[in-house]
Amino acid sequence: MSELQLEESRVKEAKEAKAQILDMESLNNPAAMKLYRRLDGILILVLFTFLTLGIQIQFTLTAGDWDYWVDWKDRRWWPLVTPLTLLMPIGAFTYGIWQRVRLPIMATALTTLLCLVAWGSHYLNFYKFTYFPLTFVFPATYIGVGILLDCALVMTRSLVVSAFIGAGLFGALVYPLNWPLIAAYRTAVEFNGTLLSLADLMGYEYIRTTTPEYLRIIESSTLRTFGGSVVPLTAVFAGFVSIVVYAIFLWVGSYVNKLVTFAKRIM
Amino acid sequence: MAQTRTANDVAVGSRESFGSKTAGHFKRNRIAWGFGALVLAVGAGLRLYMGMMAFSTGTDYYAPEFQTYWMPLLYGEIIVLTLFTVAVSVYMWMTRETDASKIGPELELSRYWKLLGIFTVMGLWAATVAITSVESDAAWHQVTIRDTDFTPTHIIIFYFSLPFLTAMLIPTFIWAHTRLPAYMNKVSLPFLAVVVGILMIMPNYGFNEWGHTFFYAEELFAAPIHWGFVLLGWSLFFFVPLVVQLFTYMGRSIAQVTALRTRQMV
Repeated sequence: MSELQLEESRVKEAKEAKAQILDMESLNNPAAMKLYRRLDGILILVLFTFLTLGIQIQFTLTAGDWDYWVDWKDRRWWPLVTPLTLLMPIGAFTYGIWQRVRLPIMATALTTLLCLVAWGSHYLNFYKFTYFPLTFVFPATYIGVGILLDCALVMTRSLVVSAFIGAGLFGALVYPLNWPLIAAYRTAVEFNGTLLSLADLMGYEYIRTTTPEYLRIIESSTLRTFGGSVVPLTAVFAGFVSIVVYAIFLWVGSYVNKLVTFAKRIM
Repeated sequence: MAQTRTANDVAVGSRESFGSKTAGHFKRNRIAWGFGALVLAVGAGLRLYMGMMAFSTGTDYYAPEFQTYWMPLLYGEIIVLTLFTVAVSVYMWMTRETDASKIGPELELSRYWKLLGIFTVMGLWAATVAITSVESDAAWHQVTIRDTDFTPTHIIIFYFSLPFLTAMLIPTFIWAHTRLPAYMNKVSLPFLAVVVGILMIMPNYGFNEWGHTFFYAEELFAAPIHWGFVLLGWSLFFFVPLVVQLFTYMGRSIAQVTALRTRQMV
């Protein structure tokens, strides 16, 4: 290293040390603390409002159909597709927020934001715009599994362990978490000599002209439609898939969060 | 004695207003909040228009009423957004700072607050789009027979709601990189990733519209043709490193300015 480079390095280190002393002093300065709190508040507002759009686009375009209609909330596809798609942004954001500010909040935050935006959106768009009854188009909730994932992180303090425990539970418990909301719609009814669920009957009565029955990606109707072990088997598989997806997106998040840098300007 | 408002007052609040809750960010960003109110009013107006007119006049592009009620809106949106983006971006570039050393710490901090003001407006717009617009398209397509070349919900979402986010982000990107010393003469990569990701959603509209011209009479919203939006929406992952950048520079700036102020008071 040349003399000049050494000198530059010393100057840089001295500047950084001086700035750090300034930072420490500011923690005892009420005026600075007031501004820091304001900065926190605004950045949280900005981050969460953008996240609202992000989680909405992610969820509605990959799993929205299962969430829009009560007759799509089946035992086989909905509990598998939903955690898979939700854990993509949750993994990427959890890595950054946990590594940078040590807050285990992103799963809860994103599922809560999704719940809020979904209720507003389903009310405005499916109820007020296209006139479906809210009992047919209410969104499911995922806040409970979000809390579990964050709890796993805060208790283990490990992204890897929380991926196994938290993401596994996230995937496995979607169906039981929502059971109180959808149980009534699983009541068996007979309609023109055919046995079907109340949810199916609603789907038959409230016609979706461009979403015909053969397009519905749900468990095929068989003699075991009202029985069998589909729920626990799906839960176990969804749990495994969730662990893998969450781990992959934690890894994506690790790369995204390395990008706190600048590039040379070309003009 | 007449009071004068200094750059320092602008940055950290005057002595009198230091304890006031209404002072500071909200008071200093009147332009941002006025603009935000205007933007939200336009958004609410468009949503009400869609609610009233979409099913009565918007199901068939070849019908005369579609040409009367929807196409002028589409042309207007394209003209307004193009003019807005180009004019504001050019203005930001032409009035750029050329000497970072002339920007004092107080002025720098006040500019950071302004940047956060416009980000807040964009964030509120993003949340509004999420609640009012995105799934209106799902609801529309799943209950109408596949309509023709243009669609009311697309005219609102693809030609105004989401592009307007880009229209605000591009000038903001230029403003930040020509006014804030930490960002001058270089390019913030997370900021660039957010802007480019949201900008690239626009070519994806083309892909989506092309896909819809196949005139399929059925619609899955989770269809592969929509996954491009999801992939580009992942550009929002870069918001975390961008927030970290702002946090770092603003934290340092606040420490510097408040230390200066404290020394002046002593």
